Amino acid sequence: MTKVNHIASRQEVTSRVLDGDLPSDELSLDNLDEKTFTRYAQIGDVMREKHQGGINIDITASVAAALEHEPCHNLPASDEVNVQDNGAKVVSMSAWKKPLSQMAIAASVALVAIVGVNTMPQPASTHSDNVPVLQSTPFAGGVSPVSFSSEQPALENAEKGLRELQQQRIGALVLEHQRQSRVAYALQKQAQLTPKEPEEKK
Amino acid sequence: MRLIACILGLFFAFAVQASDVITAKQLLQNMAKAVHTRNFDASFVVLKGKGMEPYRWVHAKQGDTELELLSLLNGAGLEMVRVNDRVTYFEPQSSAYSISTDSIAGPIPEVLFKDVTYLLSNYDFVLGGKGRIAGRPSQLVRIESKDDSKYNYWLWIDTQSSLLLKAAYVNQQGELLEQLQLTHISVTPEPAAQLLELQQRDFPAPLPMQTSLERDNITNNWQVAWLPQGFDLLKSDRHKLDLNNELADYYLYSDGLVDISVFVQRPLPGERPSGALSSGATTVYVHNSGAFDVSVVGNIPALTAKKIAESVKRPL
Repeated sequence: MTKVNHIASRQEVTSRVLDGDLPSDELSLDNLDEKTFTRYAQIGDVMREKHQGGINIDITASVAAALEHEPCHNLPASDEVNVQDNGAKVVSMSAWKKPLSQMAIAASVALVAIVGVNTMPQPASTHSDNVPVLQSTPFAGGVSPVSFSSEQPALENAEKGLRELQQQRIGALVLEHQRQSRVAYALQKQAQLTPKEPEEKK
Repeated sequence: MRLIACILGLFFAFAVQASDVITAKQLLQNMAKAVHTRNFDASFVVLKGKGMEPYRWVHAKQGDTELELLSLLNGAGLEMVRVNDRVTYFEPQSSAYSISTDSIAGPIPEVLFKDVTYLLSNYDFVLGGKGRIAGRPSQLVRIESKDDSKYNYWLWIDTQSSLLLKAAYVNQQGELLEQLQLTHISVTPEPAAQLLELQQRDFPAPLPMQTSLERDNITNNWQVAWLPQGFDLLKSDRHKLDLNNELADYYLYSDGLVDISVFVQRPLPGERPSGALSSGATTVYVHNSGAFDVSVVGNIPALTAKKIAESVKRPL
């Protein structure tokens, strides 16, 4: 039984020899793990306050060896930001944690691509009767600014020249509307507070 | 006997109707109060036709300070941060800027977080059915347009916390055009630590607002002859558009709930038909009137946008 134990675990033998649990005969000494024994003895000394002078454990070699084979799975945050800046046009979503200047990254272009015009009234939707509908391929919600990179393939597909111009213009209009409506509420409140000039409403 | 029953019935009908109006309004007012006082962390998606936009919405109130963050999670992104009455917009294509206003102009109309009674002149508040949204019991409140030139706005409000759970632009046929749906919400007694961090941040100073003096500079190069009932001019000027550097005469109108932008520009070369484009509730109508192009953008039906665009003319 003890033999099985000896073979099973050198660590256990080391521990038991140190505790005086096993006799320090040849069999147990054979199975003794020297490094572990030294460490255990040192721990014991420190705990019993026998040890004089500083603790001296040299782990630099083992740490260096371990690091050699360690895959980089935890890059520092500053590197991450750089990667975002250079490569993909991604906005850091937790902006307030980072310098604000890093927000300006992507350029957004046309938001809606026009691929043709359908002058036929659409039978399915009743609200567009008599209203010609420009055929469009909206992406990513259509009117939200999308990143330049995701726009590229769609732009390539879109027809050249005039349509591109109109498409650009519509993109600019939608963005401008979105921006202007941000001040709308404040303006409206201001208008309610100040009496209306009669010539304003025409 | 019959007469009495009839009178009683009428009386009850009136009473029910009256209390309905009060309750729908009261619910909206409770919601407006709740979004300003509660600490919550919510996620929602906006469905526009085939497109979808996910957002995160966090709000905290600590003492007298209100902190709010709304961020668009897809694409190039967009972040809106509010500290009390200063809202800062972080956009991918331009530097950050602030506006002194006390609510974020996101996918939810700002007026719903404020004094909704202002809407009563153009909209009716109607109580709808009860249901279950995002795992919570909800009550539908419909903001119905008084005429059919505008869309209706429906809101589903949490009956316990009074917070918004779902909202939609609905056309006069009852079709949901653009939906906003919360996928998760947690209401906590303590504000989120990440929001409190905002207090230590510096934000750009707010842009100066247009004063009433400057309002006299309103361009009257054009006359917008027709608008739906209730729309007032808020702003007009001539400026270059950011993306393509084109010059435009610009007019901004609002009825409290929706905003309409009217652009008058130099016509693009070539023969182009006029037409509408829509994404969710947003309509862009481009009208080619020969000597100039008129474009109308807003959350309005295409037919309304067309009528507005075609009504623009030079003043006599």
